[in-house]
Amino acid sequence: MEVEGRDMASIRGDTDEPRKFDLPVDSEHKATEFRVLSTAAPHMRAFHLSWVSFFSCFVSTFAAPPLLPIIRDNLNLTATDIGNAGIASVSGAVFARIAMGTTCDLFGPRLASASLILITAPAVYFTSIASSPISFLLLRFCTGFSIATFVSTQFWMSSMFSGPVVGTANGVAGGWGNLGGGATQLIMPLVFGVIRDIGAIKFTAWRIAFFIPALFQTLAAFAVLIFGQDLPDGNFSGLQNSGDKQKDEFSRVFYHGATNYRGWILALTYGYCFGVELTVDNIIAEYFYDRFNLELHTAGMIAASFGLANIVSRPAGGMISDITAKRFGMRGRLWALWVMQTLGGVFCVILGQVGSLTASIIVMIIFSMFVQAACGLTFGVVPFVSRRSLGVISGMTGGGGNVGAVLTQLIFFKGSKYSKETGITLMGVMIICCTLPIMLIYFPQWGGMFCGPSKNITTEEDYYLSEWNSKEKQKGFHQSSLKFADNSRSERGRSRVNTTTIPPNQV
Amino acid sequence: MAARGLLLASIYLSLLVHECYGVTLFSSLQKTLQVTTTTKRGQVLKAGEDKVTITWGLNQSLAAGTDSAYKTMKLQLCFAPVSQKDRAWRKTEDHLNKDKTCSFKIVEKPYNKSLQTLDWIIESDVPTATYFVRAYALNAERHEVAYGQSTNDQKTTNLFDIQAITGRHASLDIASVCFSVFSIVALFGFFFHEKRKARMSQQK
Repeated sequence: MEVEGRDMASIRGDTDEPRKFDLPVDSEHKATEFRVLSTAAPHMRAFHLSWVSFFSCFVSTFAAPPLLPIIRDNLNLTATDIGNAGIASVSGAVFARIAMGTTCDLFGPRLASASLILITAPAVYFTSIASSPISFLLLRFCTGFSIATFVSTQFWMSSMFSGPVVGTANGVAGGWGNLGGGATQLIMPLVFGVIRDIGAIKFTAWRIAFFIPALFQTLAAFAVLIFGQDLPDGNFSGLQNSGDKQKDEFSRVFYHGATNYRGWILALTYGYCFGVELTVDNIIAEYFYDRFNLELHTAGMIAASFGLANIVSRPAGGMISDITAKRFGMRGRLWALWVMQTLGGVFCVILGQVGSLTASIIVMIIFSMFVQAACGLTFGVVPFVSRRSLGVISGMTGGGGNVGAVLTQLIFFKGSKYSKETGITLMGVMIICCTLPIMLIYFPQWGGMFCGPSKNITTEEDYYLSEWNSKEKQKGFHQSSLKFADNSRSERGRSRVNTTTIPPNQV
Repeated sequence: MAARGLLLASIYLSLLVHECYGVTLFSSLQKTLQVTTTTKRGQVLKAGEDKVTITWGLNQSLAAGTDSAYKTMKLQLCFAPVSQKDRAWRKTEDHLNKDKTCSFKIVEKPYNKSLQTLDWIIESDVPTATYFVRAYALNAERHEVAYGQSTNDQKTTNLFDIQAITGRHASLDIASVCFSVFSIVALFGFFFHEKRKARMSQQK
């Protein structure tokens, strides 16, 4: 239901103060349009705050790799130390993302993300005073927790933007944040160079350089706290006090998230798009350096371009999800996800097989576009899996991404069991296999890849209200799920949405 | 058409020939130089502070004329095998263009027949590792033609350790701690502010 400016409730005269929004909104006051150049409060402002703060976390987490040639001499690191620190940097976020999801459900994305960012900022400051391989590993491990802010980004966008644009919003926010992993490969050497030219010696210059991502992270968190807002109508705490939002119970939220099998399938498949992206971020520079005898900085630039593709490819994935949903509903989203991710796997296999530099770069760029688009497409499906436990589902999926990264690096890229090119080909095969479970995802009200919606008339209300028991419904806790169910009717696709009648049990 | 083909072929061949001249293999070099250092076994030298006295020159027992092609002498600090283990970026390769064993240049001077001595203060960007010293003799085209080193062929004798500077400063330590504490305190400050605002709006 689209309403320009004022919401239906105020037109009916149900509320005292009609709330004016700069963007058109639905009955939950979520924006139905995504205007990327606007900073209008609260929707677009939330978008810009979330992607910039997430970007800063990616910059900090991957700030060490481009400076490793200097750090490894200063701290006397071996290749094993560097490999272990790389795995540590992405493993912390596995559980942090799940915890973040639950925290968002209970306290709201604004407090959850700003708290995590400020708590992990000291790890980045302390990297300046690292003195041994163990301290380096521990600091990369702790800094890596910060990329759990991915979950709060997706949760925030899913709370601010309505079904028709949620894939786009999630995709752009996620993609522009992931950009930090590529941008840092260019930013850190630049900052290091400037500091060294000012007069610092190499082993001091890299230490001073780390203050830049640390300060950026701190300031981003302040901006989120000062200018951000959890929901279109206000913050969790304010809405809970005024009675407009019920404070939910952790055990119920967690239970409904963990028992939804779709969350587990998406966690697995996300491990083979985002997890693969993280793995490639860690190994691709060395791959080009060793196989084609490039200069380290040339290999680094190629590595950066893999991450920089996120500026368009992940948002494109989100947009493709929304466009297919307009015509085919949720079934379109699932098919698009399966096709894009499988193609990503195919190009990964090809990447390991090609032998020339030009062909490798071209295949790598095509591979990056498919894999990152698949990440965007995944978060076109996630907002619909659960309403009550949106955070937990987002957290599980996000955490699954990191598990995929840890597993893939451990199986194919640790030690000398496989050459890097064999590892890349095998990784591609694993992508194709681990994407097949998408065929098992089924929504009774919308269908799955191969089956239509359930023969018994199942509505969106039946699906989302099944997360609340009768006692909770009596107290009226389920009202927001009701509104969401109504708004999600667009996931039926064009052929069914026009024949919708509002079911009689809706009050 | 044939002339163009011939021109292209000759350019290509001359490039190949040039490439061949550019390819210097370590195994093809003659060991005609001698290098000695005044370091003692087990001694740990500090980068930026301590010095190493190096004596180098042509092996006097060789026939005259061995050094006819030598134009320049280059002294380099090289990693001992123990410091190359598990560190592919310091790997020894026979191809001198790809060899990473000797990454630090000590000095480069025009060739002199007699023995030379140098007191070298270890530079501050030298990492913590075990080292030896190697001298290369370069010809007029700046290609290596001969070498000598302060250790034996297996690189096991007369090695010395250098301890790098930490690069840390007291001011950096203090700044790190201050900013970290500030971040955490600011976070709790925000929490209290929010709680107070919520309590005040409830009282209204």
